[in-house]
Amino acid sequence: MAFPVLSFLKLPMNVLVILLIFLSSIGNSVAYLSSSSDTTMHTNNWAVLVCTSRFWFNYRHMANTLSLYRTVKRLGIPDERIILMLADDMACNTRNKYPAQVFNNENHKLNLYGDNVEVDYRGYEVTVENFLRVLTGRHETAVPRSKRLLSDEGSHILLYMTGHGGDEFLKFQDSEELQSHDLADAVKQMKEKRRFKELLIMVDTCQASTLFSQLHSPGVLSIGSSKKGENSYSHHLDSDVGVSVVDRFTFYTLAFFERLNMYDNASLSSLFNSYNPNLLMSTAHYRTDLYQRKLEEVPVTNFFGSVMETVHTDSAYRSWSKKNVGHAKTKMSLDQSITDGDKKNSRNFDDEDQFNNEYQQDSVGQIWNTILTNVNTFESIDAVVCYGLLLMLPLLVVSTWLSK
Amino acid sequence: MGNGEVEKAKMRARPIVKLGIFLISHSSFVSVICLIAAIVALLLLPVLAKNTYISENALMPGSANSMLSTQDVSEANRLVKDLTHLYLRSPIESQQIIGQYMSGLDAEVTYQKFYPQLNRFHPLHFFTNSDLGISSSNMNCSSLGINTVGIIRAPRGDGKEAIVLVTPYNPEKNGLGEALSLGIAYSVFSLLSRVTWLAKDIVWLVADSRYGEHSAVDAWLREYHDPVFHRNNLIDSETCNESNTTTELEQKLYVDKKFYSGFRRAGTMAAALVIKVAEDSNHFEDSLNIYAEASNGQMPNLDLINIVNYLAVHKQGLRIQVKKIWSLLGFRWLNTLGVIFESVGQIARSINPQWKFGIPASEYVEGTATLASSLYYQALGVPTGPHGAFRDYQIDAITLEISPKVSLSKMTMRNDFILRGGRLLEGVVQSINNLLEKFHQSFFLYLLTSPSKFVSVGVYMIPFVLLITPLPLVAASLHIDASKSTTPQTTEVDVSRKSWKWLNSARKVFVIHLWGVVVALLPYFLCRLPNSTPTANFTLWGLLSAFSLIILYLILGSPVFEASASQPEKREWASLKSVTTTAAFIGLSLMSVINFATAEIGALFIIPICLMVQPLKLDAQARSLITLLRATCNLVLGLIAFPPVAYVLLKVVFDDVDGFNVGEYWNWVESLWAWNSATYLYVGIVHLPCWALCIHILFHPC
Repeated sequence: MAFPVLSFLKLPMNVLVILLIFLSSIGNSVAYLSSSSDTTMHTNNWAVLVCTSRFWFNYRHMANTLSLYRTVKRLGIPDERIILMLADDMACNTRNKYPAQVFNNENHKLNLYGDNVEVDYRGYEVTVENFLRVLTGRHETAVPRSKRLLSDEGSHILLYMTGHGGDEFLKFQDSEELQSHDLADAVKQMKEKRRFKELLIMVDTCQASTLFSQLHSPGVLSIGSSKKGENSYSHHLDSDVGVSVVDRFTFYTLAFFERLNMYDNASLSSLFNSYNPNLLMSTAHYRTDLYQRKLEEVPVTNFFGSVMETVHTDSAYRSWSKKNVGHAKTKMSLDQSITDGDKKNSRNFDDEDQFNNEYQQDSVGQIWNTILTNVNTFESIDAVVCYGLLLMLPLLVVSTWLSK
Repeated sequence: MGNGEVEKAKMRARPIVKLGIFLISHSSFVSVICLIAAIVALLLLPVLAKNTYISENALMPGSANSMLSTQDVSEANRLVKDLTHLYLRSPIESQQIIGQYMSGLDAEVTYQKFYPQLNRFHPLHFFTNSDLGISSSNMNCSSLGINTVGIIRAPRGDGKEAIVLVTPYNPEKNGLGEALSLGIAYSVFSLLSRVTWLAKDIVWLVADSRYGEHSAVDAWLREYHDPVFHRNNLIDSETCNESNTTTELEQKLYVDKKFYSGFRRAGTMAAALVIKVAEDSNHFEDSLNIYAEASNGQMPNLDLINIVNYLAVHKQGLRIQVKKIWSLLGFRWLNTLGVIFESVGQIARSINPQWKFGIPASEYVEGTATLASSLYYQALGVPTGPHGAFRDYQIDAITLEISPKVSLSKMTMRNDFILRGGRLLEGVVQSINNLLEKFHQSFFLYLLTSPSKFVSVGVYMIPFVLLITPLPLVAASLHIDASKSTTPQTTEVDVSRKSWKWLNSARKVFVIHLWGVVVALLPYFLCRLPNSTPTANFTLWGLLSAFSLIILYLILGSPVFEASASQPEKREWASLKSVTTTAAFIGLSLMSVINFATAEIGALFIIPICLMVQPLKLDAQARSLITLLRATCNLVLGLIAFPPVAYVLLKVVFDDVDGFNVGEYWNWVESLWAWNSATYLYVGIVHLPCWALCIHILFHPC
């Protein structure tokens, strides 16, 4: 910290004081960044809904995905934050008795393919490559924003996949497979690129739980319709359309959500415990070892809706930098970052750059706000005195050096 | 280093060589073991049969509710009534009625005029379906056939694929059965003209079966696939009165503007279903017969049979049948065998409950009867119905013959019957409509042991492989013996002659096979003789064959060619037998690729005699019990393997025929070449020469 000070020798004293306070605030922020996901606020919700199989007889997979799409939309995730991938178009299949309609129940009360369905990736666009590109955000420049997963470090992402799977793979388009390693790798990249805070992976395939066996990124919660060696079955056949219209796991998931609205506080554990292996004819298996929060305390709307903690501000129009909201927790996370060791420290330099860039975009007023709040947090006058004395020390050194 | 590697390779090869030498030196023992194992494996096939399952996910038979209503059925019944009340009217009129009914459903209707192709023997176009066969002589106006074709386009389909329904109809005979089959097809057709879920076009072909069901379907398929652009023949015939009546026939449709005088096509055919109704009604319940065998033992994909079986049994409650040889059911020894297998299975299950082996004795006997019929009709190589014409274009097709329980003269019964048949057909069509590509998931090579059980190629290969394995072994051991037993030669010329001695036998074998070709070609000339009875033809054929054999023997077997004949070899017969068995081995192996069932049955006849044959003279000289037994065995086997005798035997065992005349064999052979069956070639070029050579060895003057 001494070197930058030397370069500003000619500056007046008060400027120097401000500068020092400013630097100390950077230090705080860096410490906060290094432990990102724990302390970042949950800012927004995204959903990636993938149906991976083609052909008319896989009607139910498209119906599964569209039902989930409808549910998350109903619970508050807006269309621009849903990436919907459908590998085939059942609605316009010539074999469909009800053209341009898709049903997930034989009572035909609900047309899932109504007016407001925005399919982002359709038909042969649904490939393993595109899927991984969406997750990792490595698109070609021409890809429009609506087809990108523009999540940030405060995002909660729901990743729902359905199709035909097997031991550690999921079949895409009858021609290629997504392996569990690929998925784990993509999630790890997402984590490093700070593309999510929490991720819920929900898989409805045969041997679904094998697909997330390779994951080891923190903040990922995953649930599959069946254990290794088990099949997932369809729920019922619509003898009017002539195909099975929904899978069991998805059917009971939807049954759970149909009772809820946006304001309900049902927890994830109540969802996960609602699966009855006898009705499912397979065992829904979930993996929580990478997930820090207790499932009882997490409302399902954290993933399936867009409900998040509200932040109270003092005045209506004062914009708060989100970095400072979690300030009270900073000290705790500081300890963590120290124990984490070299790896994280080395990363901090990058973070600092990034942070500075971001910071410059803020207005000067905001900087002043920050400094003010920092100053306000100094709890006692003793501390101010101590800081003052400490500041005297370099001044003394400088003055003696100048007087030589 | 290179040498070392070669030596290593030799070291490695040594156990195989040793095994080969061991097998060859014990060839007689090995062949006995192999033959017994082959027979046991053949008898075990019904036990090893697996249950059929629908392999293609896309088919989803029976997943949709049947939509065929009683209104469709009563409409169809009206058509049946209209057709059956036409006794006094002309054939043209009934076809006109069918056309009107079709166009009433907004289908595209066309009439196709065709000249029935007489089945003739064309040696140069044996495996090809050329239409050179239409000779101008039989193109008279009286033999003009008219197919009525209706096409429904899939409303949202791409028009690239089609499903074909075929109902053979003879407008001159006007039977109730045919009218009912038209009724069933019509009820489904009228339903399909309304539905929204069609992905494939529906083609309904009412085949004019006046000159045979197969030829009518074949004529339509030929025109569908190979358009003819220069129709000189047909233009000539337009002057006929008959064609005037066909234009007359079309005029009614012209008024509706739905008629198009050209030939209409839909897309590639995904599958075809031939619907027939049997007129005899002495059954316990409504039953459904499935005929699947096409030319040269080709079968449609097993999935097609599976969906029909599934829908008929589980949805419509029809009893489903495939052809079986009834006479086998009465065989006492077969029943005993079944009981033995059953008890073996029970013992196996008591040892380990996991072993699911063995079936009830009655089921075994039924399975064997069905398997034998499946094998026989595949071996014959003659299609068992009009579906055979489709297989020539690689289209999966079967014939469904529905037999009613009671007489269908009553109206109410008729309605119910059409409803059931129509619902079955609707289900099958919907299932095929769900198909995404050609049938390819399930088996093409199989034998049925019941409508819901099959033996796949991997299993039924085993008996055949066991049957033909001894042939090369015996040939090799005989060759070694023959070259060893000759007295040691001193001069170099003698040595070289000794090593090439087998060529002499090979020449003989070649000549006999050439004779086989001549015999196979003779009927081409014989069937051109006017006014000849089958018996006379057969006699003439036999005489000419014998004559040609003598001529060939005189030309090629004369001493001029046979330089070494001056000193007859003592073991000449051994080397001859060696070459014969090799030829039989090659012939059977080739045939097994073309038509497996033929090769299997042929092997059962020819292989025992090929392996056992030994000159009678030698056996007579030895005068021991074993040699006498062998001599009689050889004589009996030699008799059995003679093609006409084998035919009679099969006929007696399977068909329960009391009387037999020689002409029947001629007729049988005629049907073989008329249908371009490879079995005919096999009998002429492989079986007959091998048999002749075996007889030659049997009576060899050692």
